[in-house]
Amino acid sequence: MDKFVVNIIHRPEMVPEYAEKVTGHGQAEDIGRKALLTESLDIFKTQQECAHKNGLKTTIEMTYASLFNEEAIALAKEHHEKYGDEIALTLLGLPCKEFREKYNTKDFCIWMFSMEDKKAIVQDVFEKFYDCFGFYPESTGSYYMDAELTNYIKEKYPSVKCAVATCWEEGPKAYHTCNNSWYTFMDGGPWAPWIPSKQNTHAPAANEEEDSGIVAIPHLSRDLIACYDGNGSNFGTHPQNVLRGMIYDTETWEYPYLYNLIDQYRYQAKFNDGYSYNMMFVGPGWMNKMGRWEAPYELLLKSYEDGCAYYGKLKKEGQLIDMTMSEFADYYRQKKSYTEPECALWRDILYGSKKQVFWYCDPYLRAGVNMDQGGAIVDLRPYVAKLNWPVGIGTPHIQDASYPFLIQEKYRAGYFTHYAGEGTVRSAKICHNGEEVDLCLCRTKAHFSEEPQGASAETASADGSAAKVAKNRILTLDPVDIEFSDLTVKLQTVLTFAEGTGSIRIDRRVLEITPKEEGAAAEITINEYMVGCYGTTEYTEDMSSLTLSVTKGGEKTEIPYEYKCREASLEGADCATCIVPPIETKVSMTCEGRDKAGYIKEGYAFSPMFTIGYTGKLCEKEVFTTWLNLEKAN
Amino acid sequence: MAQSGKGKLNYRCPSCFMRDLDIDMFYDKEKEEYYCIRCQYHGSEADVLEKNQMARFRYGAMMKRFEEKDFEDFSEG
Repeated sequence: MDKFVVNIIHRPEMVPEYAEKVTGHGQAEDIGRKALLTESLDIFKTQQECAHKNGLKTTIEMTYASLFNEEAIALAKEHHEKYGDEIALTLLGLPCKEFREKYNTKDFCIWMFSMEDKKAIVQDVFEKFYDCFGFYPESTGSYYMDAELTNYIKEKYPSVKCAVATCWEEGPKAYHTCNNSWYTFMDGGPWAPWIPSKQNTHAPAANEEEDSGIVAIPHLSRDLIACYDGNGSNFGTHPQNVLRGMIYDTETWEYPYLYNLIDQYRYQAKFNDGYSYNMMFVGPGWMNKMGRWEAPYELLLKSYEDGCAYYGKLKKEGQLIDMTMSEFADYYRQKKSYTEPECALWRDILYGSKKQVFWYCDPYLRAGVNMDQGGAIVDLRPYVAKLNWPVGIGTPHIQDASYPFLIQEKYRAGYFTHYAGEGTVRSAKICHNGEEVDLCLCRTKAHFSEEPQGASAETASADGSAAKVAKNRILTLDPVDIEFSDLTVKLQTVLTFAEGTGSIRIDRRVLEITPKEEGAAAEITINEYMVGCYGTTEYTEDMSSLTLSVTKGGEKTEIPYEYKCREASLEGADCATCIVPPIETKVSMTCEGRDKAGYIKEGYAFSPMFTIGYTGKLCEKEVFTTWLNLEKAN
Repeated sequence: MAQSGKGKLNYRCPSCFMRDLDIDMFYDKEKEEYYCIRCQYHGSEADVLEKNQMARFRYGAMMKRFEEKDFEDFSEG
């Protein structure tokens, strides 16, 4: 039977984010205001009540501020005894009078502090927690937990086994939505729980050696289409996010989207060995008595009550298991092997389109496939590099915790560009008699399947307790018709993600070629290509250190990137490659197909991209196969 | 002219919302209107509510309840 696991997390945040700014307008800042503290605790109590009355246990993530509040501590102890709630410790909610006086800063995001401060704060907060409860927590978290921070916590406080460690696609889009004032840049991570590597939080561990020792959970379960396209803070399992997005009927206060979102996450069990996951974590600031985002308090409250009621209903029906974070960490390690991917076949449930995407995430790569663009890969993160990317004051990336991309269709264009240049995408062009059709223009749908990799496919769950089998995850797309002036081609695409390899195989099979007139040559040319670059934002990076090459046996043609728009190709090439030193990544394409020729293209200042690809020939019933391979470039 | 303040709810600018920008508006008591400090939008509460309704145009399936069978069903209708 499928298992849908839910973590409900509450934090007594004595000075909620937003509350001081929103409710305190017109008053000088005073984070010690009694009214603010009282209201904050009241909201926490309300949230706890919402969960408990629906039979759901929670994880209470104590904030630093709440560790100075006797009532909050007493409540946590009482609810632990009475409801089985876990008492944990969040690194959110640092701001309070005591913190400001001690650290002389208004910074509040743990990953942005200097390493020295991170250590001091962690020690301070964890020891304060111990003083209050007599034990160290098993769960912690923030919006983002950088690898260096997690490694330090795990070393110093080995009891920690679970952490909220990223927020899916919270990056430049969130920054823009907040009038360029919200500095949470953490794009490129997993959307569902994972075991982070010691090297980079976003990149899952490939084995025990890389294992950071914790199970990470995302901050919220977010819409895998809407959040990629727009403001993430409107489309998650956070009822007030849905209100912020104005996704409700103003007359009836109904929001079926919230339930659709939960249900589509439940549906993901079909693609993940019978397991699916949800996380709900609403900070008190979202339920303040003044109302928020045009919504009065009554609606804020109703939405949270309804969210809990829906989870509670599913639990009563035996369709949901509520766990605390630490319980979930144990369950997850027993359930998943290191190399086992997370897969999501996701449809639009909001805009009324029939758009469908597929997301794949394993220790070697994260990829987004867009069926509205013929199964093009529109997002690609090379986790295989396990990029060491320290963040915080004193590092090269003070705020930017995003895992870099090679392809990002929103930030670096996809198929469509204005007048000149190319955008990042992995697609193919079908050519015939001077006509050319890109598969990005062939809308289709996909079907998921999986197969064991073969005799050497045995593996084990991360805790070693259960036997697992390494598999290929296969995405079979509905065939598309490509019309040329003198013939029609029916072509099918199959993408295969081979667990534990860092490679994506793409098969293009010509099912039929139908000439429109007698004597038309029933052969087409295919051009498999990847346009890439690197970065974490919308703006281009310096490409000067990149090197392109195409090889065959001992023969090699190389183009060091100098924005000179050069190209090279090689008949029968073994490999077309680009090395991207700033992100320690080697991306290459290999091929099996008739008349194959590998090629590389450099790009130029107005189109600072690189292209690797293969051309070849296809007749009816023939297949052209390419592999996109990711490796760490040392 | 006295300074502006927040209205009774933190109404955001509907025009900015449509371009994925959340900007709280301020309220001018004398003119009885909300206004955006980022763009040129200004309007009464009734106008804000009307424009917010308009902003929902993109949520074509906002009130549709999907069932399990719908997640991979793309048939027409």
